[in-house]
Amino acid sequence: MSADAVQTGLGTAGSDAAACAPETASSIEPLIEHQSLEADIACAGFGPAMGGFLTTLSRAWTENPADPAFESRVAPGMPLQVLCYERADDIGAGVSGVVTRAEGIRASFPKLNPDEIPMAAEVRRERVLYLLDPVGASRRSSLLRCGDALLRGAGRLVGLKDHALELPWTPAFLHKQGGLVMSIGQFNQWVGAQLMGAGLVQIWPGTPVSAPIFAEPPVMTVNGGKRRCGVRGLRLADQGVDRFGAPAEGFMAGMDVHARLTVVGDGPVGAVGQALDEKLGLPLGHARREWGLGMKMVIELPPDSSNPHQLDQNTLAADGVPKGGGKDERLLPGTVWHTFGYPEPEIFGFLYVHPNRLVSVGIFVPSWMGNPARTAYRYLQHYIQHPALWKHLKDGTLRSWGAKSLDESGRRGEPFLVGDGFARIGEGSGSTNMLTGSGVDEAWTTGTQLGEAVLELLRAGRPFTEENLAATYEARRRASRVERGSRQAEHARDGFHHGFVRGLMGMALAGLSGGKLSLDAHIPPAAEQIRPLPPQMKGLKLKKAVTAAMEDGRPLHDALMSARGWPEIPFDGRLLVTHQDALLMGGKVQAMAGFADHVVFHNRGLCIGCEVKTCAAMCSGQAITVGTDGMPAFEREKCVHCGACLWNCAQSADGVHGNIEFRAGSGGLHSAEN
Amino acid sequence: MSNPLHIVVCAGIVPDPLQTLEPVSGPHGPGLKNEMVLPAVLDPWAASALYEAAHLAAKHPGSKVWLVALGPKAKLQQVMMTVAQKAGFELVPVDGPIGGFPDAHSTAAVLAETISAIAGLDKTRLLLFGGWESASRGAGITLQLIGEILGITDQFQGVDRIDMRADCSFEVLERVEGGMHQESVCAGLPAVLGWATGTLAEPRNNPQTGMSNMRTILPALQKARPVALSGDSLRYVAVSLPRQQRATRVVKDMSPDEIARELVEWMGAE
Amino acid sequence: MESILVLTHGNEASALTKASLEAVAAGMGLASRLGAPLSIGIVAADGSAAASALASAGARLLAVSGAAFAQPRYATDAAACQALCRAARASIVLAPESARFARVMAGVAHRLGGFIDTHITALGGAEHVEVTRWFYRQRVEAVLSRAARPWFLLLDAGTHAAFAGAPGSAQTEQVAVELPAPHTTVTGLRAPQQGAQTIRPDAGLLFVAGAGWTKKQADGQVHTSEAGQIILEFLRGSGASLGSSKSLVDQGSEGQPVLPFLTHLNQVGQTGATPRHPKGLSTCCHGEEPHVVGWRFIGERRAISLDPNCGWTRGKADVVYVADAFQVMTKVNALLAARKA
Repeated sequence: MSADAVQTGLGTAGSDAAACAPETASSIEPLIEHQSLEADIACAGFGPAMGGFLTTLSRAWTENPADPAFESRVAPGMPLQVLCYERADDIGAGVSGVVTRAEGIRASFPKLNPDEIPMAAEVRRERVLYLLDPVGASRRSSLLRCGDALLRGAGRLVGLKDHALELPWTPAFLHKQGGLVMSIGQFNQWVGAQLMGAGLVQIWPGTPVSAPIFAEPPVMTVNGGKRRCGVRGLRLADQGVDRFGAPAEGFMAGMDVHARLTVVGDGPVGAVGQALDEKLGLPLGHARREWGLGMKMVIELPPDSSNPHQLDQNTLAADGVPKGGGKDERLLPGTVWHTFGYPEPEIFGFLYVHPNRLVSVGIFVPSWMGNPARTAYRYLQHYIQHPALWKHLKDGTLRSWGAKSLDESGRRGEPFLVGDGFARIGEGSGSTNMLTGSGVDEAWTTGTQLGEAVLELLRAGRPFTEENLAATYEARRRASRVERGSRQAEHARDGFHHGFVRGLMGMALAGLSGGKLSLDAHIPPAAEQIRPLPPQMKGLKLKKAVTAAMEDGRPLHDALMSARGWPEIPFDGRLLVTHQDALLMGGKVQAMAGFADHVVFHNRGLCIGCEVKTCAAMCSGQAITVGTDGMPAFEREKCVHCGACLWNCAQSADGVHGNIEFRAGSGGLHSAEN
Repeated sequence: MSNPLHIVVCAGIVPDPLQTLEPVSGPHGPGLKNEMVLPAVLDPWAASALYEAAHLAAKHPGSKVWLVALGPKAKLQQVMMTVAQKAGFELVPVDGPIGGFPDAHSTAAVLAETISAIAGLDKTRLLLFGGWESASRGAGITLQLIGEILGITDQFQGVDRIDMRADCSFEVLERVEGGMHQESVCAGLPAVLGWATGTLAEPRNNPQTGMSNMRTILPALQKARPVALSGDSLRYVAVSLPRQQRATRVVKDMSPDEIARELVEWMGAE
Repeated sequence: MESILVLTHGNEASALTKASLEAVAAGMGLASRLGAPLSIGIVAADGSAAASALASAGARLLAVSGAAFAQPRYATDAAACQALCRAARASIVLAPESARFARVMAGVAHRLGGFIDTHITALGGAEHVEVTRWFYRQRVEAVLSRAARPWFLLLDAGTHAAFAGAPGSAQTEQVAVELPAPHTTVTGLRAPQQGAQTIRPDAGLLFVAGAGWTKKQADGQVHTSEAGQIILEFLRGSGASLGSSKSLVDQGSEGQPVLPFLTHLNQVGQTGATPRHPKGLSTCCHGEEPHVVGWRFIGERRAISLDPNCGWTRGKADVVYVADAFQVMTKVNALLAARKA
């Protein structure tokens, strides 16, 4: 079957789609009729990858609107009907402050002026800091403790200052020189405004996509092999339903958007990507087992006081280096700090300086940390209080806050990139480079590669079949720096599964050898990476802590962290605020009425019997809380859609899937500064 | 019902209600810090007006809804991507400043001029809708001024309900003091209605409505007329953020009986 | 030199409203400070009672009277106010921010070539009149001034003490009004529903119910009808005015069970009301900023919440009781009943 055939003969969905459709709440109901609309290209998710794809397409159309390649098949006489659906309530409601080499972005915008993008700045200065533990609560191995003691003994002789050691140089693979510090929210807005202004593309925020619409049952290829199931569009989420998805007042069945090409860029926890993986499986040897939660704050620094360095150009020589030498600690726009070692050895951190006294400060909590009490918000609060950071931040004000799951499997988690009528781009397609710690530019680049491929096929009048997309998009990707980088990074972080120090060694080996050398390790599924209670928790009795937390009204993670010896947070109502206040002050979480709960706990018994309840501890928005019966409860209105619950469930009924399902949902953060 | 209505909805954009606001002084007077960066939404009460307008238009075949919006073009474009899925309308954008500090008199003059220039608008069939107050300026005067400029002397504010009759006379409920509604019957059009919450829930996002709207919205935005608002009459002496921080006493260990006694004692002082 | 006109209106019984008397007192203060002549205009079916109440105000009294002014209506009220302003030739016109005058005064200002500012909470300034009002739903406070005249100012209710001079006989100048052809008929007032009047602007206490009243309680069940009974009993026993968070009133439009006596009119906050009461008690409400901005003009604030980290504890309330509102309010009701007995 050709893609051309796929896009014709459309009607309302129902039985024909059900053969391949995943069992979502809406699609298992055969009596519900889904209205449909026809498009040429349907896109799920608007992030950097989709920005790259749509920019490439839109620009080519703008340059030559008369190009017959852009004539719509579904609306004769009109240009291509390109529809992009985004779950968040605004295209700027992104959750990531980034530093990126921006090679792909600059290739798309050769005359890019960072001043045009709010919160963007050229990377000027990079530091790598090893942070010692100033409070004594960090879980450090004996080896690490010995090393720390030696460092403390050597003190200023080795440059130790503020419980931090600055590496004498930034390894080349970490370097972002020539790149940009940005807010993804602002970048998305900037890209989106240009796209919509050009007129070819429609981007619809506040519209979650629940699933792909699979094509007819697969047929044989010309070579006699079995084809992958194709895709012929997207099904939007039902509206006007109760929390369980049952029709309620104002019910409107999710519309089917039929298209000859479906572009999937809904990120690592997106419902469309998940459904494709479930249906098609992953390529042989591939698995998504490594995850991380990135959580960060946007902080406004005070204009004076503790930051005498702010925008102080007088102490700089002409080349930007401090006069009189010495370490440059100033938080000038474009400054980038990478940190490791604190609050736990496994937690990496960052500080990026934007213009106008804004900084993004955050941490990454990886799945391989193992500890079930992965309490990112509390860890972030301790992180910003580390003396090396706190001396700059302490009089600041929390402006924004957010969190996001990162697919850290990189190339090893790469799914099938193309099939009949669909292509996958961005982080959900395994483009993130975990050696260099970068994903935005890689995602953007995969989008532009697909954009170029689609232009090629449109101009040649060729359909969007698996073969044609493989020969154009996948081939471009395989020949690109994205592929080379992801191969170099493939095993770079395996060593961390053997411990922090070996992890660092493995990373250094991979980085310095261009990926030729690394420390390999067996990587268990994410659920199995959650260890049972660590020894130091034995005296605590987790259940007791859970009960205490509930009785006291405190979040679970607070009780766990305090029990482990972390000092209480001295709330100041401005920067050090409770998790709930961060939701209100910084993140601004909302959920539109009329959508179903998108976090679903499948087997109640498994949840109640689960001892670690990492889902609650790791929930970025405190949207998952544990009830008196031990059952986690989900509040949609607090969910920031980080997706952490998806990979922080230690239970499985079938040994394959976790007990938590993360579906398409509405709402999330209302902040464009992230 | 064979009387088509021409409904013009005036609706501005305001910062998403959940944002933290901070005033700053600029060369053109006060504004909000990072105003262009803050996520924006359609003014909530004006949004009620839009949904009511679409609902009313649907009941009167041949009716038409225009949405007249003043704001920076880029911000309008962004907000329309959400609003356009909720109700059918034709956008009449005016590319002007954002925020609550410009003088309402200037805003009203620009909007009235814009409405007068709408091609095909029949003023004898006109229902001028809007929010009874904006969430930014909150003055509740712009709509009345537009009505006066257009010569409309049947005006209703704080409207929660309209029942249109076949002859285009209508019954209307306006909010008045004490949680009451004043009920009036207006003999016919044109009329000005400043809406409060109305009776309709926020409509679902309908992609087909969105696509249909977008065919006219994007070209309209590209042609949006740029305007500058004069504020010669208005002078801001000071603009500040109130300090409302209280020294909160958090009581954790009192029984319900003790709390009740303390509360009754506290209330009893009145 | 400025000249001041205060516009007032009567209620259904032609007596001046409290808000009108507040505007009178504010006008007297301003006229005295500026040394400006003061006129007071009365809009009522029969202005004699109002004139009598204003006898000791020491102002020139103007009135428009007649059946057409018995009820608020744009066309007739605008014509009345326009006529009074023309007769008084004032440079500054003060009026209460009542539903009646808020409906028409911008139109009147426009007809007279003037300007208007509304929701004024304070009149100040030394050489020039400066006024205070709020922007962005009580989040940003501004002091502003205008050079152009006439300048209309609508004063928020409760921001000034009401005039309470001794009644007497007063000379009133009747002002003729040219009325437009009648087009709108006011047919009456309608209470929200079920006759339960829960909004009491003059109450000493604002009682706010949050969404927690309709959520699952400790036994895992919802107790909406019990919540409704407790709240109504409290309102009866205390005479408090009922407010609500947006999340609670919004539930009603989503088809979920919700307290039947609540409407959007009860909503306090960003997209609701900003009432003025000396005291406020919040129950089962998280105290989020969009809601709390509606408490800007509430004096003493207390809250009952199960969440010790709720927004109220962050400097937004004077006292927060970490407790179950069902239990506490049941006890409160019992105490109120005992006190009445």
